[in-house]
Amino acid sequence: MEQDDAWHLTGDLMVEDGKGDPFAAAIRATRMPMIVTDPRRDDNPIVFVNDAFLRLTGYARDEIMGRNCRFLQGPDTDPNAIQQIREAVRARRDIAVDILNYRRDGSPFWNALYMSPVITRAGDLHYFFASQLDVSDRVDAQLRTQNEKEHFEREVAKRTRELSEALAAKTMLVHEVDHRVKNNLQMVASLLTMQTRSISDPSARDAMKSMLTRVEALGTVHKRLYQSHDVERFDVAEFARELATDLVRGSGRTGIALHFDLEPVEVPVEKAPPVALMMNELITNSLKHAFPDNRSGRLSITVQPDGRYFGIRIVDDGVGMPQEVVGSRSFGKRLIESLARQLNASIAWQPGHPGTSIDIRLPRESSPREAAGAKDST
Amino acid sequence: MSQPLRVLIAEDEALILMQLEFLVEDAGHQVVGTAATSDEAIRVARETRPDLVFVDLQLRGGSSGIDIVRTLRDEPATVLVFVTANAQHIAQDFEGAAGVIAKPFTEAVIFDTMSYLEECVRRPPPRLSVPLGLRLAPAYQAALSGGRNLE
Repeated sequence: MEQDDAWHLTGDLMVEDGKGDPFAAAIRATRMPMIVTDPRRDDNPIVFVNDAFLRLTGYARDEIMGRNCRFLQGPDTDPNAIQQIREAVRARRDIAVDILNYRRDGSPFWNALYMSPVITRAGDLHYFFASQLDVSDRVDAQLRTQNEKEHFEREVAKRTRELSEALAAKTMLVHEVDHRVKNNLQMVASLLTMQTRSISDPSARDAMKSMLTRVEALGTVHKRLYQSHDVERFDVAEFARELATDLVRGSGRTGIALHFDLEPVEVPVEKAPPVALMMNELITNSLKHAFPDNRSGRLSITVQPDGRYFGIRIVDDGVGMPQEVVGSRSFGKRLIESLARQLNASIAWQPGHPGTSIDIRLPRESSPREAAGAKDST
Repeated sequence: MSQPLRVLIAEDEALILMQLEFLVEDAGHQVVGTAATSDEAIRVARETRPDLVFVDLQLRGGSSGIDIVRTLRDEPATVLVFVTANAQHIAQDFEGAAGVIAKPFTEAVIFDTMSYLEECVRRPPPRLSVPLGLRLAPAYQAALSGGRNLE
């Protein structure tokens, strides 16, 4: 009851200096803004207000004494917070809530309101006691952080969307270019096929046919490139199988048995066309010279990794390469030599017993110069 | 050789179409029709009842070879084979086609395919092995080996 009386005095009697009332003196002097309201009176008016509260809100004491606290609310005050306070008053319980309040001059501040009922031992509600704390800095910082987070999330989402779209566009472009390259190679082959049919001179016809197999070899490279799991790498071994099968079939020779000894060897994609053309020339040569007069025989192709190198071996059991072919300066031969130079490959032609054995050894990875060249051309 | 296969070619690139016609004829078979759009191909197929249809995927006027295959897939006497630069985009079930030849193809692949399909159509089951450049649909392969089991 003593405490109750003290409140009673400070509020109702407007004791200015709080003599003999240490509680009242402390509350008057504290830097924490505080008010007391009287719910027993109509509209729960303010019955006590300390100087800190007046400093915070900019009001004079006589402007707010006797008024309900709702004058602190303003246009952007959250109705939910107001509702929470009303319910706490009605239920006579304490409440802590951050609420946007307004000073006398209309400027807003975030108020960390703590309010609790003062209830007598008999259970009668006499007062509400409320403290206010300006936490604008904290709330603003929180809001700023929240805004920044949302801003960044929006930016990340936007950037992700842009990247997905760019990737989709790139994929479509690659697909389109791939399709065009393959169709165009097919058209070049079509032209050669049709022109060949109109030529009656056997040697001119042979030259056209050789050209067709070269174009077809390049076509097969392209076809395999985009069928594989990795468009950057090219498997020489599986290509060799397809190429040799095609060439034997295309030669129209039926008595030639193909034998393969293949281990996977993946090379960078820029090596694929020269490797393909070189193999095409060598196998074509064997088919042309090793088995004259429709002689039957065996052609064996080996592809093997060898450390940082790999080997391609083409062995036939035919009549042996005529000296004029080995030593010739034919177009095919010159093609083989310049492709070998490009690939840093060594080629050894050895007479077999019988037939001919050709051993090619070449580095698996591109030299920096080749790789740079490949990059420039993409 | 048994009776030549009657072939319809749906291909919108004139040069590739000519090459395919030459190769089919060189292999001893007969081209009964050509078409540059899917509608045309379906119409010609209904008229000529071909044994084999070569189907390009992207045809003239934005039409698709897939529509040809979906329309003709239930014709029991017609074998449908895609010939396309988009072979990697053919659905798992080949939409009901028997197989796919990837472009660019070689002459040898077309010759081998003609010999192989001639056996499939005229003297099943085929004794030749499947050509390297022809990828068969699982369902067609199963039907072929089913035929083998019956014999």
